[in-house]
Amino acid sequence: MLHNIDVISSNMAAPVNSVGKTSADRLQVNCTSFQKKTRSKLISIPGTRPSVQNGQLLVSTGVTSLDYLLGGGLAVGTVLLIEEDRFDSYSRMILKYFLAEGVVCRHELFVATAQDNPDEILQELPAPILDDVAVPKPVEQPRLTGEPQDSLDAMKIAWRYQNLPKVQSALASSSRFGHYYDVSKTMEVEIRQAAKCHRFYLPDHITPSSAAHRVESYSALLKSLQEVIHREGFDLVTPMSKSRNILRVGLHSLGSALWGDDLCCHDKPRHSHALTTFLYGLRALLRSSLSVAVVTLPSHLIQDRALMGNITRLCDNAIALESFKGSERETNPLYKDYHGLLYVRQVPHLNCLARQLPDHKDLAFKLKRKQFTIETQIHPGTL
Amino acid sequence: MLSELLQGIESGGFLIIRDSCRYSGRDLLKSFITAALNREEVIHILCFDVSEEELKDGLKPSDTQRLHIHNAYSDPLGWTGHPNFTVQQFSLEDLTNLVKQTSQPKPAVLVIDSLSWILRHKTPPAVCQTLQQLRKGGAVRAVIGLLHTDMHQRGTVGSVCHLATSLISVAPGVKGKEAVARVTKRSKSGKVMQDEEIFCIAEDFTVTILSKPSHAEHKTNSTEEEQTDPTANLTFNLRLSDSELEAKQKLTLPFVFSKEKKTALLHPGPGSGRILYEPDANDDYDQEDPDDDLDV
Repeated sequence: MLHNIDVISSNMAAPVNSVGKTSADRLQVNCTSFQKKTRSKLISIPGTRPSVQNGQLLVSTGVTSLDYLLGGGLAVGTVLLIEEDRFDSYSRMILKYFLAEGVVCRHELFVATAQDNPDEILQELPAPILDDVAVPKPVEQPRLTGEPQDSLDAMKIAWRYQNLPKVQSALASSSRFGHYYDVSKTMEVEIRQAAKCHRFYLPDHITPSSAAHRVESYSALLKSLQEVIHREGFDLVTPMSKSRNILRVGLHSLGSALWGDDLCCHDKPRHSHALTTFLYGLRALLRSSLSVAVVTLPSHLIQDRALMGNITRLCDNAIALESFKGSERETNPLYKDYHGLLYVRQVPHLNCLARQLPDHKDLAFKLKRKQFTIETQIHPGTL
Repeated sequence: MLSELLQGIESGGFLIIRDSCRYSGRDLLKSFITAALNREEVIHILCFDVSEEELKDGLKPSDTQRLHIHNAYSDPLGWTGHPNFTVQQFSLEDLTNLVKQTSQPKPAVLVIDSLSWILRHKTPPAVCQTLQQLRKGGAVRAVIGLLHTDMHQRGTVGSVCHLATSLISVAPGVKGKEAVARVTKRSKSGKVMQDEEIFCIAEDFTVTILSKPSHAEHKTNSTEEEQTDPTANLTFNLRLSDSELEAKQKLTLPFVFSKEKKTALLHPGPGSGRILYEPDANDDYDQEDPDDDLDV
């Protein structure tokens, strides 16, 4: 089940990656914010691009603000851990964005759940906005009180700037490798069925009455994933006769009681090694194949902080979501424009010495209809 | 929102009433049972915490046709040879058989009094899985459970409540017979609604909702801040009188155009020669990089 240590130590798997890099890129240490432009014309896998910082092959998470925070995108072969918010609304949304991005880029999907059927998540994927150009709305400058309500006279002096869009403080990558989605509509059935999707629904694989249920659920999942990777040729064992593709793995609510794990139930869980062993095996499997994984975890139920630290270290990227719903922050006027806070717990350093942590630490997110924005909070008085 | 929940739980729903030793949630549970009986629903109750007589006390005797109480209070662990219902029977197959035995046409509502008892004898993951399977399966339409939060670890309570579609936490109120209920409802689309209400339960287990708790009013007072006027308290005059305002608006600015010319420039019509510029990859010419045009 687990691969060799040799496999784990070689971080990059995709051979296409070396084409776009120059020797200058490899020696660069990320201490400045300088980003070199790359002009690689040989991207053979749709929906990916090499990173401008360290040359890794990146895929988009589906949320352009999140791509910017993670250093341009999610590197192929890594795991993104999302610590769920209390009611699992926004973490589930990000998982859906990730899978929807896979459908639009024509990657293959692998969805594993224990609570709801994977088909339910797939039916809720947001519809992509395919014309892909943000339409600027005419914005008026703030008027002094007493002036007439005429829209043209509102900007007497600067009227040429009337139709330009307002400057946004949202973080976004400058390239167009991510897509935008409309949350109010679901993806059309034809688009969704064009993508190949592998499902893993835990009750189908495990008989409920088995006593050693706890360990079996994770190992069954890992075996199933390994079998899919090998069968579909993501592990680069077969020669490069057919075109390459990326496998996007979405694992929903790992560690919850429905996976048979008592991590969330007891203060001192008896079998805390099951999930950590699984994550170790998952990362080894991903490093040796062209896949990328997003794992959501109900961390608010885990009482043991040391265990949470272990889990964070075993994943490459880690973010945590905290929604304002139900907490006393909901009525705080500072937070009235946002739906919750986002914490970047960990960013990996792959093939380089230093991590590229985001500059801003106070991040807040807002789920708008056409965009999931992550903004830095501008506190009054700090400007 | 409490009254909406009393009027009916949606199919596949799972309601948990969380109480503590300060205020027992059993009266509220009986109100739910009464309301469901009034709606002509079939109810199965798994009775662990209290005896059957105590649970039936106060419920109308005419409804016993549709009310099936499974006595797990007298012998829950099966110590005598012939137990009525044991805690080991809390699994999907046994419960489905139990509910189907009564051979009613429509699916029943399962009431569990209480979940805490089951959680003490079965592992929380197993209980969570059984509850999830009950919800997904067709034998039971909805599940209502009573959970004593002070009997378990926080993680256990959190894990079980994570599965619930509606959650009611009850606490004692300020005055005698009143209690405070904090209701959280999760809809299928992922929307979460929360509410806090004061209620009291009458002798026949009807619930009357009183007002919202008073500390909500305090919050609205504090958020209304005074808008400070920046033009006050200055040594010079920043305000405009009416005649000055008129004069300002009449002033012609040097580059002011007529309205038609402005609209023409802002919204160019057809045939006015628009330049559509889509930056190409080759146009990204960096002035500082001399090697940019070398094909390395």
